[in-house]
Amino acid sequence: MVDLSINCGGIKSPNPFWLASAPPTNSAYQVCKAFEKGWGGAVWKTIGEPVMNVVNRYGSVDYNGQKILGINNIELISDRTVAVNLKEIAETKKLWPDRALIVSLMVESKRETWHDIVKRAIDTGCDGIELNYGCPHGMSERGMGAAVGQVPEYCAMITEWVTEASTIPVLVKLTPNVSDIRYPGRAAKKGGADGISLINTINTIMGVDLDTLELKPSIDGRGGHGGYAGPAVKPIALNMVSQIAIDPEIQLPISAMGGVTTWRDALEFILLGATSVQVCTAVMHYGFRIIDDMVEGMGNWMEEKGYRSLDEIRGKSLKCITDFGSLNLLYKAIARIDESKCIQCNLCTIACDDGAHQCIDVLPKDKHVNGNVLHIGQPKVREADCVGCRLCYLVCPVDGCISMVRVDDDKQSISWNELMKQLPQPLTWEALRQFQQKHGIEIH
Amino acid sequence: MTRIKQGSIQKKEPRSVIRVYPQGLRESVISFPNNTMNQQQATIESERCLQCYDSPCTVACPTHIDIPTFIGMIRSGNVIGAAEVVKTSNALANTCGKICPEEIFCQSVCTRAKQDSPIQIRELHFYATQMESRKGFSRLKVFSTIDGAVAVIGAGPAGLSCAFELTKLGHKVDVYEKDGIGGVPRNSIPSFRLANDELESDTNFLSRFFKTRKEDVNARLFEEIRHHHKAIFLAVGLGVDRPIGIPGERLKGVLPVLQFLHKAKIQPSVLSIGDRVVIIGGGNVSLDAAATAKRLGAESVVLIYRRSESEMRVWKSELNEARRQGVEIRFLTNPVAIVGKSEISGVMCRHTRLSKEKDESGRRVPVELKGSDFVIDADTVIVAIGQSVEAEWLEGFERTENGYVKVNKNFHTSVSGVFAGGDMVAGEGTIVQAVANGKQAAHTIHEHVSKKLR
Repeated sequence: MVDLSINCGGIKSPNPFWLASAPPTNSAYQVCKAFEKGWGGAVWKTIGEPVMNVVNRYGSVDYNGQKILGINNIELISDRTVAVNLKEIAETKKLWPDRALIVSLMVESKRETWHDIVKRAIDTGCDGIELNYGCPHGMSERGMGAAVGQVPEYCAMITEWVTEASTIPVLVKLTPNVSDIRYPGRAAKKGGADGISLINTINTIMGVDLDTLELKPSIDGRGGHGGYAGPAVKPIALNMVSQIAIDPEIQLPISAMGGVTTWRDALEFILLGATSVQVCTAVMHYGFRIIDDMVEGMGNWMEEKGYRSLDEIRGKSLKCITDFGSLNLLYKAIARIDESKCIQCNLCTIACDDGAHQCIDVLPKDKHVNGNVLHIGQPKVREADCVGCRLCYLVCPVDGCISMVRVDDDKQSISWNELMKQLPQPLTWEALRQFQQKHGIEIH
Repeated sequence: MTRIKQGSIQKKEPRSVIRVYPQGLRESVISFPNNTMNQQQATIESERCLQCYDSPCTVACPTHIDIPTFIGMIRSGNVIGAAEVVKTSNALANTCGKICPEEIFCQSVCTRAKQDSPIQIRELHFYATQMESRKGFSRLKVFSTIDGAVAVIGAGPAGLSCAFELTKLGHKVDVYEKDGIGGVPRNSIPSFRLANDELESDTNFLSRFFKTRKEDVNARLFEEIRHHHKAIFLAVGLGVDRPIGIPGERLKGVLPVLQFLHKAKIQPSVLSIGDRVVIIGGGNVSLDAAATAKRLGAESVVLIYRRSESEMRVWKSELNEARRQGVEIRFLTNPVAIVGKSEISGVMCRHTRLSKEKDESGRRVPVELKGSDFVIDADTVIVAIGQSVEAEWLEGFERTENGYVKVNKNFHTSVSGVFAGGDMVAGEGTIVQAVANGKQAAHTIHEHVSKKLR
């Protein structure tokens, strides 16, 4: 029996899948519908200051026929009143006591204002509070959202105001629009946060319409940057989540988000330290029903691999993360092409020849078609020259045709940092070449 | 694939020597057929293309269209560029985009087929050229300078292609054609396979590149043309239906297939074929005739062929289509006489079997079975057993065993300075092969003429 339940900084939910604070959590109708479908938790769309939205709020990046690889929005926090939202939150919590219901807040930077809204939120019976330090548009110009998240001092100060007034767990949601995510993360810790949520959306302009020369989307001819999310941002989010997870100064539970579309994405975040995962774009694209596959898929994977709870796998891949200077310089792998699977498209050949290290040869095979001779070339890796860059593996359209095969004896290991201790400093090209020659590494 | 050594650069031949800004083909804006891909379908399909390095499709295409390049252009939204790539390689771009039997050419060797299914190359090709037509302009423009060196007689696929290619090589070409330009696609390919506006998007485009003289070539005119030009390209096709040579051939109700198809295309209202139609012959033209007869309202259409299905030289897709439309196909059946008094009443047939002996085409020879005669009732009999090339001014030309005009590998006939290509040298073939023929011939003609001009 697999147990998917989690406890994220004191907020418990039957599975790790939460709806992120966004349009899908705008109302009791939506959140109740999602809970009915099986979502473990929801972070209510941010409530706070009075706002008014504009039309054409979303833009997307489509890639060769595939819709919404990434989505960008300039929608603001909830445009419904605080009172209406709090009433609906209280009703929803009463109906769904076993689910995590978190209230996202954003108000002006005044201690009393924060104290007031925190108390009103707690009165709904909700399980936690999330502080929206992330929105990159609209609110940041008014001194809220990313304007707070980008300045660690503000971040710590406001978190402190909240935690001193709160009797329930407080999560701080960080903006990725910073050069080093660890600073606002440490500030949140300093302010007494119980957990960290990340990433919020990324500053982007989605494109320019080549017919009108206006931005996409266009709001009566004008536009600007918005917040970017969806499958395209996942690698950025994974990096930031892992940075927070391995930082010895932070050590807080993480509610991760950024491009989670399937259970596989969710597992990757959990393996890099997340406790819960939040989902928005995938729901906006496909609806609440995707939870079925998320829960089933994750459960099946765990059963197959022999894990019983998410605690067993949380952060399990973090140990792989290291800096470049600690990587083994003597690990050697080369590309090998399985000729029985190869379809002779020679995409590997052209990628290697033009974009890499010229080590794939083509053995000509002629085939006669309609009186014409087709030169069908069988690509073959010149293994002695292969530097193991892995580009051919990436471009090959056939699953399992090209593999990276380990060829070193697995006995020696030396990292750049270790090597620098051995070689005379300052380092010369000559000394480095001698080391390379000694280990049969040829640079061409 | 030729592997290029590091450090060396192999130049690709420029795609075309004619380019750029037109007065406008705006009058040729055509209606968009329903069966063309839409932009989204084209984008998704073009994304499937692996852009494989050897591009076997390009080699397999008789006109060697640079397929990965135009598919890449469709992918990026550069439809005009894609159409230009197609058109500069294949003069009858829209026609071939609609009816080229891609299953035996480009698509038959598509690398993607080894993964799942081949790219729908022809549909993408048609999408590009039709989108360009719909936009109503082409950037291609003439600036040829060599005047009066070459004449082309016959404006079918081979003649048009040759004239277009010669234009690209710098010639101002005189084209002689007694009917409007278009040849077989215009005269006898049924409009359900190729709509008039689809052909017109090609002919309107092409007619801007050379002068067309609407004259019927006779011996005197032919000599005159020879006198005024350094080279002539003949591409008059196969204009004459072969007689079948059985009793009753001249009865009312017997129609040679080209006449039938032409009438069905131009004036279908005056064509009365009755309820029962028999088609004699087992080629693609016979299938076209059978499908046309069905569309004209014939209740029963029977196609008789003296050999079996495996000897039939037809596109499988067309055979299936004819069957789907309810055409009955009787194999191993040979007509021996057309019966009737003044009007026909049926076709007397005899069963055959295939002997082990093979004829020059490599197919087993049918042998009639004695005493197996029977009559198929018919109101109309369409004879589709092949065509030949006949004209008094062609008398001096050497012929092949099959009666076609003989040419050497440079498309040169036995008459000096006269070249020929298309169906009149090879027999009934595909449009794309005729286009390829004309294109290749243009280069040898250009070489021949250049020597004379020097």
